[in-house]
Amino acid sequence: MQAVILAAGEGKRVRPLTWSRPKAMIPVANRPIIAYTIDALVKNGIRDIIVVVGYRKEQVTRFLNQLDLPIEVVVQEKQLGTAHALRQAESRIKGDFLLLPGDNYIDAQSVAKIKDVKNAVLVKEHPSPSNFGVVTIRDGLVDSIVEKPDHAPSFLVSTGIYSLNKDFFRYVRGNDITDAISCMVEAGTDISAVTADDWQDAIYPWDLLKLNLRLLKHLPAVREGTSSSHAAIHGAVHIGKGTTIGPNTVISGPVIIGNDCTIGPNCCILPDTSIGSRVTIEPLSLIGNAIVMDDTTISSHSRIVDSVIGERCTLADHTSTNTAGGILEIEGTPTRSEFGAIIGDHVKSGSFARFKNCIVGNNVTLEGNRDVCTRIIPDGSLVI
Amino acid sequence: MCGIFGYIGRRQATPLILEGLKKLEYRGYDSFGIATLQSHIGIEKHKGRISEYGDRIRLNGTLGIGHTRWATHGIPNDVNAHPHTDCNNRIAIVHNGIIENYAELKKELVAKGHIFRSETDTEVVVHLIEEEYAKIPDLQSAVRRILPQLKGSYALLVIASGADYLIAARNGSPLVLGIGDNEYFAASDMTPVLDYTERAIFLEDGDIACMTRNGVEISSQGQPVNRKVELIDWSPEEAKKGGFPHFMLKEIYEQPLAFFNTLRAIDKQSLPKFVCQSPSVTVVACGSSYNAGLIFKYLLEESCGIPVRVDFASEFRYFPPPVDGLIIGITQSGETADTLTALKQARIHNCRTLGITNVLGSSVSRTTDATLFMRAGPEISVAATKSFVAQLAVLMQIIDARSEGRYEDTLMHAHQAIEEILLMDLSAAVELCKSAENIFYIGRGPFYPVALEGSLKMKEISYIHAEGYAAGELKHGPFALLSPETPVIAICMPGETYGVMVSNIKEVKARGAPVIALGCEGDQELPDIVDQFIPLPKTHPFVQVLTSLVVLQILAYRTAVALERDIDKPRNLAKSVTVE
Repeated sequence: MQAVILAAGEGKRVRPLTWSRPKAMIPVANRPIIAYTIDALVKNGIRDIIVVVGYRKEQVTRFLNQLDLPIEVVVQEKQLGTAHALRQAESRIKGDFLLLPGDNYIDAQSVAKIKDVKNAVLVKEHPSPSNFGVVTIRDGLVDSIVEKPDHAPSFLVSTGIYSLNKDFFRYVRGNDITDAISCMVEAGTDISAVTADDWQDAIYPWDLLKLNLRLLKHLPAVREGTSSSHAAIHGAVHIGKGTTIGPNTVISGPVIIGNDCTIGPNCCILPDTSIGSRVTIEPLSLIGNAIVMDDTTISSHSRIVDSVIGERCTLADHTSTNTAGGILEIEGTPTRSEFGAIIGDHVKSGSFARFKNCIVGNNVTLEGNRDVCTRIIPDGSLVI
Repeated sequence: MCGIFGYIGRRQATPLILEGLKKLEYRGYDSFGIATLQSHIGIEKHKGRISEYGDRIRLNGTLGIGHTRWATHGIPNDVNAHPHTDCNNRIAIVHNGIIENYAELKKELVAKGHIFRSETDTEVVVHLIEEEYAKIPDLQSAVRRILPQLKGSYALLVIASGADYLIAARNGSPLVLGIGDNEYFAASDMTPVLDYTERAIFLEDGDIACMTRNGVEISSQGQPVNRKVELIDWSPEEAKKGGFPHFMLKEIYEQPLAFFNTLRAIDKQSLPKFVCQSPSVTVVACGSSYNAGLIFKYLLEESCGIPVRVDFASEFRYFPPPVDGLIIGITQSGETADTLTALKQARIHNCRTLGITNVLGSSVSRTTDATLFMRAGPEISVAATKSFVAQLAVLMQIIDARSEGRYEDTLMHAHQAIEEILLMDLSAAVELCKSAENIFYIGRGPFYPVALEGSLKMKEISYIHAEGYAAGELKHGPFALLSPETPVIAICMPGETYGVMVSNIKEVKARGAPVIALGCEGDQELPDIVDQFIPLPKTHPFVQVLTSLVVLQILAYRTAVALERDIDKPRNLAKSVTVE
């Protein structure tokens, strides 16, 4: 069986984190999201994998190259829609295939459930269905599917994972998969609805924290770096090669820390935290429920919770993030959110900067001693 | 990274294996070897490339294994080359991967009386199998019983006299089986198998396959398992490039990692004393490596005040003595004839010599007192990209060692700045370059050699006549060539050269030539006076050298793509020049 993974889309609603990579390449628990999709396929013995790339395609290709599994790469030059992306792979598809988005998490169990069913969609209930293709079912078969409706008829949504056949291309007219599925249903083809066990999508950047929490659940404890004998490390904690944990640092798992990091002394790392490689966390800082990407430095006395910090950031001493709710305008739509800070790549903030429910773009420089509340700071700004 | 290939069937194995290994050479090519089985096991292994020795191999048999190596631990020589055998030459194996606990296993085996011939980690595996095979002469179960003792990654192929089958095992390293008609293949990837069959089985971690002429049986944890036969229809070329349209682009994207890995691999504490203390340095090199040497000159003289002389290796021998101090020879392949001759010349003058190369165990390491290896991995594209950046990593690490670790922090994060460059959109600059017949590159200070390297890349792959000049030299002659049809690419970074560079650019503009300037982001003046401004991140001068260089590589690549040139194999050029 073949599988087609769509990883061409930027993921505009996850900006600023998608400036240097498509959404599928955002690291969660220190691996790009697409890696988990590939895992789920390989666990089911599906190795004939085609990945459709587009936005920042070299980033995806380079990552796929590092895997020992040979993966075919197909380019979608313009990102016109999911069906258009799939069509780029049409000539390589021989018969039955699975279609999966590269930027969602799916467990191997669910893939096992759907892979042997002909013409099927994997569905799951979601509290805000109108962000997805909403599905109604009758007798286990799809009755209707509507993409992002204003008023959702049910809480059941399509996960974007389908088991299809080459015949499917006969129904593809527009650029959307859901439209083609609708066509198929109207033409009288039975499409089974299979319920997913565990599926998660990150629509907004703060959703990445939920995904992170989920992916850290089964983290095995690995200790490869050097930890001070005066550090207290509990639970499932992964410490990468070359990382040093200073004295009196407390780490409670699940926590993953990459390679060559310097943590502490006297730091506190709380559960559900992913820290990339070559990250420095200076003394007396506290990190919890956060994603900190590669090469970032968090100076002393900082408090980073419920936050995503991009690559190469330098946050000066006493930086703090405070969790708060607020309404932010994402891609033109006012959206309710609750988090500390979402910080893009290469952001520099001065001492005593305080973030509350705030999205900071890439390459932003922020002077110290400031409060930033419920705001989106655009890429490249200088905040004085 | 290494490549392995195995065959069992009715045809003669040796030519098939040689052909297969050649296709796997992109995974490594410093030494290779073959073992076949007739009444007993015959082995031939050599340091060097298959094309050099392959024709001389005369091994008969229709069952055999082969290996092409890219050494990372243990130098490449005939002894360390695979296949490895047990004490009695009854079992032969090839291995791709790393056995992490080989030291302890080796100790136990030596205590039991096994004789080790090589320095490789692989050899413990064959001796372990020998132990079990002596107890029960069933090769498959012997392999199965020893695998749990191995920590690390492996793809193994095993043959033994008295066993007319081939055993394949995999854990963590790639291994694929090709299914022919009464013939079977095993290889690191599909590339070499595709000539013979399209049917493949991808083994999973923990799988052991027993391949006979009549079929393949696969077991995992002692239980037989069924793995699906898949039809593969990619072209071998595509498979190797892993989705990139050209090796050059693949290698450009590997640069951040090549730089970082090389930095990590050069331990400043263990640098030879004469490297850290020599009062003067001479660099000999050719082509891109010469440009790397020139960058080194500017940076070392500036930061440590040590005189550095840089010479073309091909010209070095015509200089009469005196030469003294340290002589550094830089060569990606380690085989560049001119550089080797120059280094020999230096030894005649009693100088200490240091080689910098990407190929462990190449000729340069036998010619010099010490050798530093860059960790760029095999480079296929003729135009050097990642090896150049890795050379700079070695040289910058030497500078850092000689200036008491002043640059350590800067260098450790430098690869991230390169990442940022890889995201840049240069289409407007490409538009300007692709229609030009001549392009001039100018820079000052360390950016002068960057200009040279940039123009070299442009020449090599786009066939546009490109010349690099020290910006001040432009007025002394080449100025006469400027016209609205000759774009000038200027590297104009903040620092002491900035002011003069700006006036040079204005002079060029006054002659009507379009200017593409590489500058620092946030520059207020440049964008107004030049036609194309390419902003680079604000960083340390060392990193600026790297970032501006990578921009010029990508510019050359994109221009060549726009002109539809044969990028990986430019006309008239060879990857390493082994004649004078």
